[in-house]
Amino acid sequence: MAKLKVYDPAMCCSTGVCGPKVDMTLVGFAADLDWLKRQGVEVERYNLSQQPAAFVANAVVNEEVRRNINVLPILLVDDEIVCRGHYPLRNELTDMFSLEAEAYPGLLRVISQNGD
Amino acid sequence: MWTDPLNSKYLFFTGKGGVGKTSLACAAAIHLAGDLTPVLLVSTDPASNLDEVLGTTLGSAPVRVEDVPGLFACNLDPGAAALAYRERAVSPYRGLLPEAAIRSMEEQFSGSCTLEIAAFDEFTSLLGAAETADRYAHVVFDTAPTGHTLRLLALPGAWTSFIDNNTTGMSCLGPLVALSKQEAMYRSSLEALRDPQRTTLVLVARADAASLQEAARASEELRRLGVCNQHLIVNGLVERTSTTDPIAAALVDRSSNALANLPADLSELPLSTVPLKEHPLVGLAALQCLTTRDTAPSSTVTGCTLPDVPTSLDTLVDKLLLLGRGVVMTMGKGGVGKTTIAEEIAVSLARTGVPVLLTTTDPAGRATSALKPPVNNLKIERIDPVLEVQKYRDEVLEAAAANLDQHGLALLEEDLRSPCTEEIAVFRAFAAAIARGEESYVVIDTAPTGHTILLMDAAEAYHREVLRTESEMPASVRQLLPRLRDPEFTCVILVTLPEPTPFHEAKVLQDELGRAGITACAWVVNQSFLASGTREPFLQTKALMEARWIDEVMQVSPFTVVLPWR
Repeated sequence: MAKLKVYDPAMCCSTGVCGPKVDMTLVGFAADLDWLKRQGVEVERYNLSQQPAAFVANAVVNEEVRRNINVLPILLVDDEIVCRGHYPLRNELTDMFSLEAEAYPGLLRVISQNGD
Repeated sequence: MWTDPLNSKYLFFTGKGGVGKTSLACAAAIHLAGDLTPVLLVSTDPASNLDEVLGTTLGSAPVRVEDVPGLFACNLDPGAAALAYRERAVSPYRGLLPEAAIRSMEEQFSGSCTLEIAAFDEFTSLLGAAETADRYAHVVFDTAPTGHTLRLLALPGAWTSFIDNNTTGMSCLGPLVALSKQEAMYRSSLEALRDPQRTTLVLVARADAASLQEAARASEELRRLGVCNQHLIVNGLVERTSTTDPIAAALVDRSSNALANLPADLSELPLSTVPLKEHPLVGLAALQCLTTRDTAPSSTVTGCTLPDVPTSLDTLVDKLLLLGRGVVMTMGKGGVGKTTIAEEIAVSLARTGVPVLLTTTDPAGRATSALKPPVNNLKIERIDPVLEVQKYRDEVLEAAAANLDQHGLALLEEDLRSPCTEEIAVFRAFAAAIARGEESYVVIDTAPTGHTILLMDAAEAYHREVLRTESEMPASVRQLLPRLRDPEFTCVILVTLPEPTPFHEAKVLQDELGRAGITACAWVVNQSFLASGTREPFLQTKALMEARWIDEVMQVSPFTVVLPWR
């Protein structure tokens, strides 16, 4: 099975519970990655503020970041960029790995869930 | 001598603010270092006064205290620790990552999680490290006021079980990821704390019911956390009864009543007493007097009278009534009477017929039980960290439930167990309380200084985030700093005693607030013997020493009230 690497921007926690408001996009994405793992995808996740070495070590990511830091998050599948600048929804993730999206309330996760 | 039973490897002094923890911890450390024994004295209070008390400039690394051979001291300042922590994390990547990336890393290391973790890191590395244990015969901790102390002491347990239970390795560990390597250190810290051979917890109280109750609460809570070797010191006992002066008589009565009615949790503990000294316990000579029978070296005292200032809160309340609504916050060192003054202001405002909410940000804040019978128009609440965390978790989980399956929810629930969550939940509750000042008066009795500074730092950090990003935040958080900065909305009252240490602490607080763009609107000098009119010679000596500090307050304060000793 393919390998997914996620390079997050600098943040306190990758699930977004550490801000003055919980970021539901991050919560949903963390759940999706958890689901992908259960489908057998190998997932690695790096946070710029916690694992900066990973951003130095990977040449592709390093070049992107040098050009523009706002490109984060970057997602790589087998070292090829599959998504940048936003967190993909689950249907995008399932497409990346040709998986069947099972019935799941998060399938059409709405980013605007953030509203007050 | 009260210091005799205090000879454990680790000594922790704890108690309600203002009971004399720092003075006694210093005196005990000086005493232990007496025959050149290497002793380390540590303050974990973010608003430490150790420098002033010892007359030595301290940093986060132990330094020799000039005039006491054998004694070393340091301040664990969370702000400085967080900066050092950030620098250690970020500096290796300068040049390897673009400047923009470095900046965004730095921004992440400025939140309250980082402060909490950095302080904790320093604390455990002192307590858990073999070097410390080998180098010093005794380590004396002058711990922060009670609520903060308990959290700090409880942390090794909380973190250790958090690491044990965290299975996914991709949750809100924040900077903890780097720390998890030091798990062994947490465990040895916890073991040291729980070992009665190595650790003595010294509960310090004044001879009054409130401070003894606080000590009893701390005693019980720490016993539950496994810290069982405890010792009680009643400080500032009034032994002189020579005159018929009503103020002196009241003091003596209060002392003997309090000792006769010790709370059940304390009555079994070994007890020492330390008499009240008429001189402020600042400087080595004064501290050494605490462990000898001598009186402090007398300085020349000239007669003086109270300046012409209000001696009740009425004028201040009248000023507040002009605002029509808004936030009143009492701030200052622990033990100066913030709670009492907040209560009195809230009651006075409510009696004029306006709605008033009285609340506290102090995690160890006493429920304002004194207010019986209930006052019309006055609502009393309390920001309880446990409840706030529960509320915040429920709110987040409920909002997420529609979009997550059971695995996703379990993952989120685990993340919400992170110790950072408490900081955020309390901060949000604070912002929400401030927002309620739009509709009514909100009187907030703040936590002791260190905790309040952290809260203000968080307000600033989040405000920067508001300006920097478009990220969604509750309106109360977005408007928090602008509200605090508006003198027509927020009135900060600095409370002090007419003594050097609480004055300096309140002054530091005033300066810190000033840097954040918040101006104090008044100072209240509480418990003044000078304003009390006492005729007891011993208390008159104390009263005369007060004049200088009242004068210092008036020089930095826009509006001063001096309240007589009660």
